[in-house]
Amino acid sequence: MRSSQRRRGAGLLAVLAITGSAILVGVAGPVAAADPVVLTVGSTQDLDASNPFNTELVVGYEAFQMTYQLLVDFDKDAHPAPGFADSWERSADRVTFKIGADKKWSDGQPATSDDACFSWGLGLAAIKDESYIGSGYLDPGIKDAGVTKVECPDPTTFIAYTTDPSDRIFQVYVPILPKHIWGKDDYKKIADEKFDAPLVGTGPYPLAEWKTGQFARFVRNPNWGGSKGFEDTVVIRFFPDNTDTMVQALKAGELDYAHGVNSDQFKQLQADTATYTAVAGAANGWTQLAFNTYGTGTGKTIKNGGASTKALQDAAFRDALGYATDHKALVDRVLGGFGDPGDTVVPPVLKDFHVTPDNPRTFNLTTAAQKLDAAGYHLDANNKRLDKEGKPINLRLYYPNTDDNYKKVAQFVEQWYGALGIGVTHQSFDSDTLTALLLPPEADPPGTAKYDIELWGWSGNPDPNGLLYVFLCNQIGTSSDSNYCNKQYDDLYDKESKEGGAERKATLAQMQNLIYNEAPYDVLYYDANLDVYRNDRFAGWQNMPSNGTPFFTYGLLNYTLLTDATAVPTPGPTATAAGSTAPPATQGPSTGGTSGSGVSPTLLILLVVVVIVVVGGWWLYRRRATRAVEEE
Amino acid sequence: MSGRYIGRKLVQAFVTVFAIILLNFVLFRLMPGSPDRASKNPHLTAEVIAGNRARWGLDKPLFPDQLVRYVGETLTGDLGYSIKYRGQPVTEVVLEAMGPTLLLIGLGEFIAIIVGLALGARSGWVRGGRVDRIGNGLSLIFYSMPYFVIGMPLIIIFAAGLHWFPTSGMTSPGASRDLVASLFDVGRHLVLPLAAVSLGLIGAYSILMRASIIDTRAEDYVTTARAKGLADGRILRAHAFPNALLPMVTLIAINLGYVVAGAITAEIVFNWPGLGTLTVQALAARDYPLLQAIFLIIAISVVLANLAADIIYGYLDPRVRT
Repeated sequence: MRSSQRRRGAGLLAVLAITGSAILVGVAGPVAAADPVVLTVGSTQDLDASNPFNTELVVGYEAFQMTYQLLVDFDKDAHPAPGFADSWERSADRVTFKIGADKKWSDGQPATSDDACFSWGLGLAAIKDESYIGSGYLDPGIKDAGVTKVECPDPTTFIAYTTDPSDRIFQVYVPILPKHIWGKDDYKKIADEKFDAPLVGTGPYPLAEWKTGQFARFVRNPNWGGSKGFEDTVVIRFFPDNTDTMVQALKAGELDYAHGVNSDQFKQLQADTATYTAVAGAANGWTQLAFNTYGTGTGKTIKNGGASTKALQDAAFRDALGYATDHKALVDRVLGGFGDPGDTVVPPVLKDFHVTPDNPRTFNLTTAAQKLDAAGYHLDANNKRLDKEGKPINLRLYYPNTDDNYKKVAQFVEQWYGALGIGVTHQSFDSDTLTALLLPPEADPPGTAKYDIELWGWSGNPDPNGLLYVFLCNQIGTSSDSNYCNKQYDDLYDKESKEGGAERKATLAQMQNLIYNEAPYDVLYYDANLDVYRNDRFAGWQNMPSNGTPFFTYGLLNYTLLTDATAVPTPGPTATAAGSTAPPATQGPSTGGTSGSGVSPTLLILLVVVVIVVVGGWWLYRRRATRAVEEE
Repeated sequence: MSGRYIGRKLVQAFVTVFAIILLNFVLFRLMPGSPDRASKNPHLTAEVIAGNRARWGLDKPLFPDQLVRYVGETLTGDLGYSIKYRGQPVTEVVLEAMGPTLLLIGLGEFIAIIVGLALGARSGWVRGGRVDRIGNGLSLIFYSMPYFVIGMPLIIIFAAGLHWFPTSGMTSPGASRDLVASLFDVGRHLVLPLAAVSLGLIGAYSILMRASIIDTRAEDYVTTARAKGLADGRILRAHAFPNALLPMVTLIAINLGYVVAGAITAEIVFNWPGLGTLTVQALAARDYPLLQAIFLIIAISVVLANLAADIIYGYLDPRVRT
């Protein structure tokens, strides 16, 4: 019996040992002889698509710009810089772009103006049909720039005809795709293409591998003509809504750069200046209180819906409330000091366009109360503020549950408005539910816009139009969350869209002041991007723009400027296997199947299952045999 | 066991699965919002939104158009296209995530069942002994801890601190195509999440097994075995343990049914690209086709696991075969 006991024990151990061994032997792992230098970047977003026309996320923009160039890129101050085109010349009705005669795609094919004509042609075809490509984020830029026609008279010349001499053509976010690969697609078909890796591009690091939910790997373009970064490979690892694990990966040295840590993590890492550099970069966006002004400028009402009081349609009422929110206190106490107090609707990161208001409001509850009284909103005997219909004002403030800070802000607002005799009830919703709640009858499907204040935020493009757009009358029912309508503003928008240079800046300043004074929004603060990078492997980091962060802003210049932080190049910590060289730069559209390297997980599972079944079967057999002996 | 018993169980399982298919359709459409509203693109004009709705088949009436199309396609194995992962067939997205989940949770269950049952049996058999005091104490602690509470210290100690294992993910970017190297690579990434999942599950098995063994100890046949002079260990293994296993069948079956569902928090903490993580992503994007597929697969696996439990129970205990 003693021996059978040992055998059983041995059997059990064998099962555990063999299944475990498949795992534990990996601890050592094979060591690569000559690994490429890998720059590993962490993002809290998960890449949604490798097709540029289908991504809606910042990480998606970063990914497609690694692969494809824009016609005009951005320099370190977000100003126009050579991209697919080397130079350009502006005349009244056109811009003539020159493309390098020796420019090549990563697969060695010549890159010419034909590729630019094809790529912009997709957008123009969609505009002609009053349609869009994919998610509809990129191609409207061509329309916004007033482009009517493109021409390619020779391989190095690309001419875009425009309706006005504005400079927004230099900020069009349309990637130049290789015509020799996608040329058979029209604008409808290109949106359905999967863009399987490896991709061919003219960008510095075309996409080589994408593992959904895990990482995207980009390898150096052998035909890249610009400055060359120290890294051979860039890996973006995804940590969807999981900053804790991302920060641990940064500490472990698995990441060189972490994008979007929280303020506590930022402060902790910031303290270790020898190991990390922490950058609180100005984000191109803000957090606002959007007042439901439905009816302003249109006189419309919503049956069984809309705001709970007409006071919200009164600019004087909204202006008074503007004195009752302490923006500086919110930055200090909600954002941990990272961010800037808000004022106008063009963030300071767009320094060429941002203006501070001509008549700024400063936090003062007494002033707020006086202005409310002056505007006809008086307190009753119970210290409740009444609207002009004689009803006590109780405002419903809604916000998404995507950011813990919103709740803190809502509590402050409740307290400040409460001091004025205005009741506030606040509630959080998931983003989608909240979006549905905000919809007015003009939306499809129609809604009832049953809210008073929305607490949320926006982020924009290098051109301020992306943010100024949301206040247009025609945005009620689509992107407007204040339901604000003002013909004067719409006219100014049309005007500045046709202007350029100082003229446009003056009009933009007028628009910013108009929105500030009319106050459909109370811009509480401009958020900060909290990024941290390690100092031990890469040097040469630059913030782009100077008040931004190195990555995840505009342009990819920084990826090409990094240098070795040590005297001797060191292999990347995440490149573990031997022979990791750049994959052949070939590609065909929609080849299907998962891309990249490695053995399929299914095969691995099968192997583990086979081991378990064989060893388990052997153990059971031994057990029966032993029992038979014992029964005897 | 009669064929009628099995047949009845099979019919019940089939009806349940069909009801789930219908429920699946209704459930996600009851949620407020719509996938075309999940983004906040200022350029999305009414025409663009309408175009998206038409493209995703949301412009048609829910009943009968969308329902009939959904049921027909589901029955033919066509689960549609993912809205979040634009253009990718749902089957492809789900299958890609199912492998990692089966690997992590399947292996975690396997280890937890073996260790948990052994620990529970030994604890219950020698109540108050050292194994019982330590083992039962630890079981209770781990049983009450969510995976992320177990997982984060593991990451901090063994990944960020000692650098023994990677913090997260399943494979290294740019890893070799070589089979052995890939096994090593996945193995390294698997250690910490597997430890978290196993530790979290061991508690449940151990506690239940301990209670079951304590009940069995008082049975007459155990007393008889003692009277016959059989060794203590032999009584536990040959007589008490097999009988105490009966209540465990249900727990194991239910847990195995959820192997496919994955452990959402464990997968998220370790960034494991499984169905749990995918579910969270799909939910955030209101990706109806993807959510339907995930819930359908989870539901079918639970129904099948319960069917297996019923049949095994019928085999083990003749009283339930009626």
